[in-house]
Amino acid sequence: MLGYIRSVPAVWRVLVCLVFCRNLTSIGAAPICTNAQTGCQALSLANLFDRVIQHSARMHGISNDLHSEFEQYFLPSKNQIGRVSRNCHTSTILTPNGKENAQRMAREELTEVILKLLMAWRDPLWRFHQGMAHNHDFNNFSSNKALEMSDMVHELRKGVEKVADKMQMLGIISNSVSSQVSPEALLPSDSAEWHLMRDYDLLYCFRRDSNKVQNYLKILKCRIVPEHGC
Amino acid sequence: MKEVMEEAVLLFLLLVIYTPDAQGTRYSPPGKPELTRCRSPEKETFTCWWKPGSDGGLPTTHALYYRKENSDTIYECSDYHTAGENSCFFNKNDTSIWVNYNITVVASNALGSTFSDPVDIDVVYIVKPNPPEKVTVTVMELKEWPFLRVSWEPPHKADTRSGWITLIYELRVKLEGDDEWEMHLAGQQKLFNIFSLRSGGTYHVQVRCKPDHGFWSEWSSTSHIEIPDYLHREKSMWILIAVFSAFIFLILTWSLHMSSHRSLKHCILPPVPGPKIKGFDKQLLKNGKSEDLLRVLVVSDFPPTTPSNYEDMLVEYLEVYVPQEQEVLLEESKDLHDSCLKFEGSTSDNDSGRVSCDSHTLLMDKCGEAKEEGRQTDQEDSTTEAEAQGQQKDWDQDTLMYANGDILSPEKSSGRVKTWPSVFSPLPQYTLSLPDQTSSLEMAKQHCYSDSLFCPGSTSSYLTHLGNNDNETLGPGSWEICLSNRQPYSHIPQMQTCQQVRSHSDVNISTIARKQEPAGLPLPFFRPTAYVEVQRFDEEDMVVLQSIVSDHGFHEGFPQMLQQEDYSKVKGVDSNNMLLLQTEAMKEDGDGTTPHKPTAHIHTVVSTQDEMAQPASGYVDTATIFTLPTY
Repeated sequence: MLGYIRSVPAVWRVLVCLVFCRNLTSIGAAPICTNAQTGCQALSLANLFDRVIQHSARMHGISNDLHSEFEQYFLPSKNQIGRVSRNCHTSTILTPNGKENAQRMAREELTEVILKLLMAWRDPLWRFHQGMAHNHDFNNFSSNKALEMSDMVHELRKGVEKVADKMQMLGIISNSVSSQVSPEALLPSDSAEWHLMRDYDLLYCFRRDSNKVQNYLKILKCRIVPEHGC
Repeated sequence: MKEVMEEAVLLFLLLVIYTPDAQGTRYSPPGKPELTRCRSPEKETFTCWWKPGSDGGLPTTHALYYRKENSDTIYECSDYHTAGENSCFFNKNDTSIWVNYNITVVASNALGSTFSDPVDIDVVYIVKPNPPEKVTVTVMELKEWPFLRVSWEPPHKADTRSGWITLIYELRVKLEGDDEWEMHLAGQQKLFNIFSLRSGGTYHVQVRCKPDHGFWSEWSSTSHIEIPDYLHREKSMWILIAVFSAFIFLILTWSLHMSSHRSLKHCILPPVPGPKIKGFDKQLLKNGKSEDLLRVLVVSDFPPTTPSNYEDMLVEYLEVYVPQEQEVLLEESKDLHDSCLKFEGSTSDNDSGRVSCDSHTLLMDKCGEAKEEGRQTDQEDSTTEAEAQGQQKDWDQDTLMYANGDILSPEKSSGRVKTWPSVFSPLPQYTLSLPDQTSSLEMAKQHCYSDSLFCPGSTSSYLTHLGNNDNETLGPGSWEICLSNRQPYSHIPQMQTCQQVRSHSDVNISTIARKQEPAGLPLPFFRPTAYVEVQRFDEEDMVVLQSIVSDHGFHEGFPQMLQQEDYSKVKGVDSNNMLLLQTEAMKEDGDGTTPHKPTAHIHTVVSTQDEMAQPASGYVDTATIFTLPTY
């Protein structure tokens, strides 16, 4: 009798575990299905777009905060002569500068521009964070933000790649989008340029580029899956 | 006259000459203009406004020049009119987003030109949309409760459909006549419900919008909406009010009725019962004359002449009475006695409160406790003992002796103790009629017996510190027990021998010292259940014990056990002249000074100075030895 009683909670535990484990396996780690195979939980394209747009919005918010901090503490005068000569290292990437230009651009091109931008910022942001961590001028809050920014760029790029894969899978875009854009091709031959970029310029450039990414993603979404929020 | 005329002409000429100089000769280049702001309504075009400086007296013109990022080409504004005066409108072709513009305004007149400070702008960050359009407000109902539904559309210029701009909205509501608006953030939705409404009022609603990173638009034009009256919604309120007023009305009538019959006070505040003692005059208390009080309280037929229930007396008890020299204490602690006696008298009355015995005497506490409906539990006994012990200031705590409980084996003592309350049940019968104070005190003392052996020294001075056998000096660790002489049990001649008792921490029995003033020893009665009752005291300081079963007479003489029946046998007397009794058949024995023998015998302490250290092999239930008066 005692043995039976003891075994009951064990059986109960096993049952509970099974139930929960089944639930767990069905959530979280489900990969995005390349084919519509059964047992695979596929996210819709609209859902994917929403996620990457939210991600890019957050990334832009952080970059905006950091830029404001820099502007407040390191550059008292807002209108400095010579700011126009600022040269972002991503200026070589051709990006549409207006609504018509962006709408005229093909989806594949737009997707590729986004990916190029994200790829171009991976290393500079990482170095920026490293520089901040060692520099005691910046507090921990700013340093954490820089790290978060650098992580987000990486994550966002992966997200956008997934979106591109999904779009390609759905036939929305052709397979000309290459997600294996090599970072070296994006940088100017003189890779020392972005080393020389001052932190403030770097932040200014990244703030703008993150805004571009967010905007292009929105345009893509409203063009491809205009159901919600367009 | 002529001079006056000349002066006037001179003045006039001067005026004419100088005034034109003030205006005309001070021509200067224009003052520095200033770019006040640049705004874009839809992120596709933008406008910049400037404030001109002084014009220097000459007609001045302004021109706006701008340069785009990473380009050295300087452009001039192509549209100065669309946006009004002192403005420059950049159309779609001239506007580039995510491009830094460096804009300068130049004011020039015939004398020169002045450049303003340059301004850097990026169109993305200067977006201020137009207010939302087509704001509609309707009253809708949800389960008979009204609410407002507000809907709107984005400004027609802002292209949210293509995702170029993302707008978030905010609306505000207020009642007509209010000063403060109620703000609601609506996010990206174009529909909003407002629930907290007051019926029968007019509401004003306004909406505005903002892009992700930009400026809030102006508030839309106010929409007015009137909420119709919803009386049914407030029905519940009226019902509540009606019920409440009815309730208040009821209370008022009831209170009036009550007050008219003068019974309200009795209803709410019942009178506190006063103390009632049979045959007792409250005024005596108030007068504070203790002698009168004592006389009143003294019961004539105390103690009862006939023992009521021998069977009830399961235990024997030692009656301790006041030795002669302790009478001073008696006098001193009359109040205790009084309280004790009072306590007696009050047991018969349910209403009367319990008189609290003075705390500094051991038994007085027990007195109060014991009187508790004539009943006590074991726990109470032990607690009272504990209390009494704790409160013993006068007595050395080590030497405190208890009739039961600590000293004796708990089981047995408790067994004994249980019966004691029954002793008290007949107590109320007899009250106060002892002839003299001493006996009354004895009575009181007897009443005061609960579990403890002794009554506090006050009433009976039964417990006193005795230093030596001779009852003269009270040394530490010795108690004097006086057995009181009680009528029904007084086999012993009228002698109260208080035997000095030495108490030890492991004491079993306190020996009894002799008292000088025998007031008559009430003899403990013998019980068939192997109890011993002290029969009497000898002049030789002997406790004569008698077994309960057989009602032998006492025999004088030596501290002998009188009984063949089993009763408490004296284990012996220890070095401190303590009588150790043991429950066994006793034999006559000789001297109390002999050490404990297995054969039961009771040794009475003859001379207290004798060291009769008896090993306490067993114990004697002092409860057996000390009998409580049965009243």
